[in-house]
Amino acid sequence: MSEKQTILIIEDERAISNFISRALTANDYRAIPAYTGKEGLSLFFSHGPDLVLLDLGLPDMDGLEILSQLRGLPREVPVIIISARDREAEKVRALDMGADDYVVKPFGVSELLARIRSALRRADRMKLSQGIQRSVYQIKDLTIDLARHQVLLGGEEIHFTQNEFKIIELLAIHAGKVLTYDFILEHIWGPYGGTGSNQILRVNMANIRRKLKENPSEPRYIHTELGIGYRMLDD
Amino acid sequence: MTQRFQEFYHWLDVQAHRIPAIPRNLGVTALFLCAAYWASSILIGHTGGENNSALVFVLAVVFISLLTSGYFYGIAASIIGTLWINIYFMEPYAAFSLSRPGYPVALLSMVAISCVVCALTARVKKQATEAVRREKKAKALYEQNEKLNAEKAAIQLQSERISIRESILRAVSHDLRTPLTAISGAVSVLLSSPEVSEKNLAMLADIKQDADGLIVMVENLLSVTRVQDGTMPLKKREEMLEEVAGDALLTTRRRFPDYHIELDLSEDILYLPMDPLLVKQVIVNLLENAIRHSGDREHIVLRLYRQEDWAVVEVRDRGRGLSPEVCQSIEAGRPMPLSGDATRGMGIGLSVCQSIIKAHGGFFTAENHREGGAVFRFGLPTEEEKL
Repeated sequence: MSEKQTILIIEDERAISNFISRALTANDYRAIPAYTGKEGLSLFFSHGPDLVLLDLGLPDMDGLEILSQLRGLPREVPVIIISARDREAEKVRALDMGADDYVVKPFGVSELLARIRSALRRADRMKLSQGIQRSVYQIKDLTIDLARHQVLLGGEEIHFTQNEFKIIELLAIHAGKVLTYDFILEHIWGPYGGTGSNQILRVNMANIRRKLKENPSEPRYIHTELGIGYRMLDD
Repeated sequence: MTQRFQEFYHWLDVQAHRIPAIPRNLGVTALFLCAAYWASSILIGHTGGENNSALVFVLAVVFISLLTSGYFYGIAASIIGTLWINIYFMEPYAAFSLSRPGYPVALLSMVAISCVVCALTARVKKQATEAVRREKKAKALYEQNEKLNAEKAAIQLQSERISIRESILRAVSHDLRTPLTAISGAVSVLLSSPEVSEKNLAMLADIKQDADGLIVMVENLLSVTRVQDGTMPLKKREEMLEEVAGDALLTTRRRFPDYHIELDLSEDILYLPMDPLLVKQVIVNLLENAIRHSGDREHIVLRLYRQEDWAVVEVRDRGRGLSPEVCQSIEAGRPMPLSGDATRGMGIGLSVCQSIIKAHGGFFTAENHREGGAVFRFGLPTEEEKL
């Protein structure tokens, strides 16, 4: 595609917005800055961006309100949240409301770019598949075959318990997106499955990591979002 | 009015009760009978009738019943009084006589009156003491209520203080992090830009490094403010230690990509209560400390294991080891010495570690390994202590 992908930056701190714009332009994206929530929404409708960077702490509107307006639209545009370190509950709510990913201030440029790439790829995949679910997912040397209920690591089959497989399947279907503990718990154990504690999920996850010989400091397949949830890597 | 009477009665009661019961009762009886006799003697001089004296004696009986305990003195006084009237205030004077018709009726009615009066006064007395008791109780309740109100106010003040501190901290952290993020971000953009000359590149790299150093410093200062005086509760929740350690290592690697750090995980699953962001910071600080001060680039190891009721995190290097002063001050739980080039910057990071671990009820040690290099170790209790 010759046309540049457009990214809308809704962020009230000009210094931050400026360097993000520069970084995006330098990496061949088209950046549109918006400094208030209202401006952000109107630029969203006039420019139709491919991705939105959204700061939750805006002066004129609640960032979550903007997110819910964007999620009410038929066209699903990936949203990456920019949030402060000590506002975890807010991040989790944003992710549960359909945000794809988040970065925490202070964040680095390379980290932000990596997350943008991942979210855009995911959006592309969704567009290509037209809602038809794939049956085989490939992440590096890991093959997840949903139809055969099989996981291969470097060609060798690894045995998982039913719940472990369900978790891997869920993460693979949403590869690139951060899934919160509550989201996973509800999908695997039902709406009342994880009431009060997510220990069951965390222990399952620790076992999956051990079976995949995954080192949590060098994640190859599953990234831990500390205190938030998990994300399957997609590159 | 009744209130006044009750108060006066209570006062009198208290005063009278300083004297032992029998002499007091006898004294009261004698006093009032004498007073009645004296009053009747005066009255009889003026009126010459006997009816008045009977009334005066009834009045005396009323007072005696009121001021003595039990029925005995009242009835005794009424009998004595009747006899006395008979002897002194009825014809024939100075002699006992039942000759007048109706006298037995007068005698009986006087005894009956004193009995009734005794019963009534006993009830009044009981009511009075009851009222006093109730009043005391009400007063005690009132005082207790006052005390509770004072306590409530103190708690409210405390929680207001915490929330003020929370909001100041949030504002400060926002105002410090935002410009630092912008500086570090802007410099990264410039660093990857092709238009910057070689010479400027080196300067930009310095700015970037210092900005990132400041970010770490701000995080440390904010955490230590949060933890230090124990007024703010930790945001504890059950967390998987290997995920916290992995995240800490990722953060450190991003800042120091040239260093090799090994993660040695326990087979045990260590899932325990902690404030994950603070514990992550401790691990980041220990790793950075090893990177900056050991001189070792290759053999830094982050190890997690279980030891009895502790989840232990160990950072080991094979560098130049610790000076005796540093070991000693960690042993004693003292803050690090902040002077001297060798320990520059080390003090704050390690002090923060100590404070955070202490707030978690854990232990923190530092020593030199037999085979060289330093070992920093901290343990967190795997069970939440029951308060």
